[in-house]
Amino acid sequence: MKIGIFSFAHMHAESYVRCVAARSDVELLGIADDDAERGAEFARRHATRSYPTYEALLADKPDGVMICAENARHRALAELAAAAGVHVMCEKPLATTIADGQAMLDACQRAGVILMTAFPMRFSAPVMEVKALLDKGGLGQVYACNTTNQGTMPGRSRPWFIDKALAGGGAMIDHTVHVADLLRWFLGCEVVEVYAQGNRIIHADTVAVDTGGLLLMTFANGTFASLDCSWSRPLVSQTWGGVWLELVGQAGIVSVDAFRQNIIAHGDHVGKAQNLFWGSDADSAMVDEFLAAIREGRQPAVTGYDGYKAMEIALAAYRSVETGQPVRLPLGA
Amino acid sequence: MRVGIVGAGGMGRVHTTAWQTTPAQVVGYRDIRPERAENCAERYGGRAYDSLDALLADVDVISCTTPTDVHCEIVMAAARAGKHVICEKPLARTLAQGREMVVTCRAAGVKLLVGQVVRFFPEYERAKRAIDGGMIGKPAVLRFSRCVSQPRLSVDNWFVDFNRSGGLILDLMVHDFDQARWMAGEVTRVYAKALSVARPEAGVDHALAILTHASGAITHVEGSWAYPPIFTTAFEVAGSEGLLTFDAESSKPIHFLRHQQVNTEIPEVPLPSNPLLESQYVTEIKAFYEAIAHDAPVRVSAVDGLAAIQIALAAIESAQTGRAVEIEPLAEMAEVGR
Repeated sequence: MKIGIFSFAHMHAESYVRCVAARSDVELLGIADDDAERGAEFARRHATRSYPTYEALLADKPDGVMICAENARHRALAELAAAAGVHVMCEKPLATTIADGQAMLDACQRAGVILMTAFPMRFSAPVMEVKALLDKGGLGQVYACNTTNQGTMPGRSRPWFIDKALAGGGAMIDHTVHVADLLRWFLGCEVVEVYAQGNRIIHADTVAVDTGGLLLMTFANGTFASLDCSWSRPLVSQTWGGVWLELVGQAGIVSVDAFRQNIIAHGDHVGKAQNLFWGSDADSAMVDEFLAAIREGRQPAVTGYDGYKAMEIALAAYRSVETGQPVRLPLGA
Repeated sequence: MRVGIVGAGGMGRVHTTAWQTTPAQVVGYRDIRPERAENCAERYGGRAYDSLDALLADVDVISCTTPTDVHCEIVMAAARAGKHVICEKPLARTLAQGREMVVTCRAAGVKLLVGQVVRFFPEYERAKRAIDGGMIGKPAVLRFSRCVSQPRLSVDNWFVDFNRSGGLILDLMVHDFDQARWMAGEVTRVYAKALSVARPEAGVDHALAILTHASGAITHVEGSWAYPPIFTTAFEVAGSEGLLTFDAESSKPIHFLRHQQVNTEIPEVPLPSNPLLESQYVTEIKAFYEAIAHDAPVRVSAVDGLAAIQIALAAIESAQTGRAVEIEPLAEMAEVGR
């Protein structure tokens, strides 16, 4: 099986390349990037080929591509791959508008190719443990959830993250979708209403998009869930941030910190304290699922539609920030 | 300074032992259930009074530690009698009552001190000082959590009677609404969701709220009576230049792992605990004593208490209507010159 990488705009591409390269049964064709210098640099770093264009990579007949472009550029690349009959795994958020997201779903469906959204938290062992607990009824009915996906502001190393035209927004679009997806998965139903407030106080002098955000989502079954999606971890933090969920249910309260499995390192050569993560590799499990879905000719465990619904929640949150009132879903285009 | 305790329940006893650390003297108790006043008198000294007026005639100050719905009538009676009042939180059951209390005490020239005791909890006060000292820049995103088991008074469990206590949101979450306002300034909008988890018959026992501050800061507040017997609080303040985080569980200095499980008694009304040389209630009452005896400045005003219930009542309205509720600036605020 042959896999190509479309763009290195998103830092997760590095991890995905490593996951693919680690497998002896998969050939990493190489990297195409509209930033030729960036593509060449990462191709060199990962000892793979740099393609001058996306079309050139497609000409080498990959089975699948992983799109790690800027959010607003996902659509064009997904359509390009679908038209060539190539399966797609796309970085989150799926897109930045309802129209783009819908077009991606349509293009991949028409072409009969897989569209998978890169939601690695679905493959986090602690998160999966909670999902299993819920599925066997260990918590009973879930009534309310309090969640966070906070992080450091990513714009220093990747300036497009704080460019509204390319990212579709700031912290709220960046950090709503992971947890929104997990909650849809956990609860098995859709969000029907979102209230959100956002601000731009942290990094106000250097960032033009929202850096602080809080959401309160209501699901079709009545469960409500809050999410703190802020880029509120200082740049000097021990870690980039984290994903934490607390579920209040019939049998009690369960919380999960997906990035808790760390050894903490201090040292004269370490500088600030560092977290040394020793938990299982969720990215690798996610990439494996993409490859397995291609091989077995089936839908992956997390689909383009999942990505679309999570994006829709983030977009509804922005609308709520504008109106100051809850917004009903689904959103029209 | 002579002190009377009105409401000889759990908080009445907490106030009594706190007053005993000051030069003031607790002279007696009044309770609608006379045996409770008598029990306190027997245990702590002083006498049981059979009417509020009789108690008021003998004291300079009262501690009002009754259920919330009768704070107003007691405070008004004290003000009319020219007595200072320490009123437990939440200040009142309704905004109109709270306003009347503030205005009447002001007109009568008596102090109205509200027991927003979390302002005297050292972990919160330390954070407030760090913020005021500029350590984290301008507060941007704040988070507060206060999760406990439901109060279960064996007799007259008024906490779970919404008409009397205002329920979880007014009784418990009022602490963190006050903290949010203390740390990040006035609140202009509230949205909240609430439900019954553990005991559907007892009304709302779990709620989440999002506050919007005039400064642009936003705050998430979690409050719960749906927890197993535990009192857990947490907060964090993310600012333009840094971050403060606190979690009661992880800052516990003592852990005792027993070889055999012992049945510890579950308190009727759970209160937080972490070893301190002086209890937060003692710190609070000492501050109130100084405020009354020497007109010392105090870190929480009656208007702060009023603003806190205004936010809580707006959260209740939002949870009921499903809409975000705008908060009007309190006219009473201007007169304090804050």
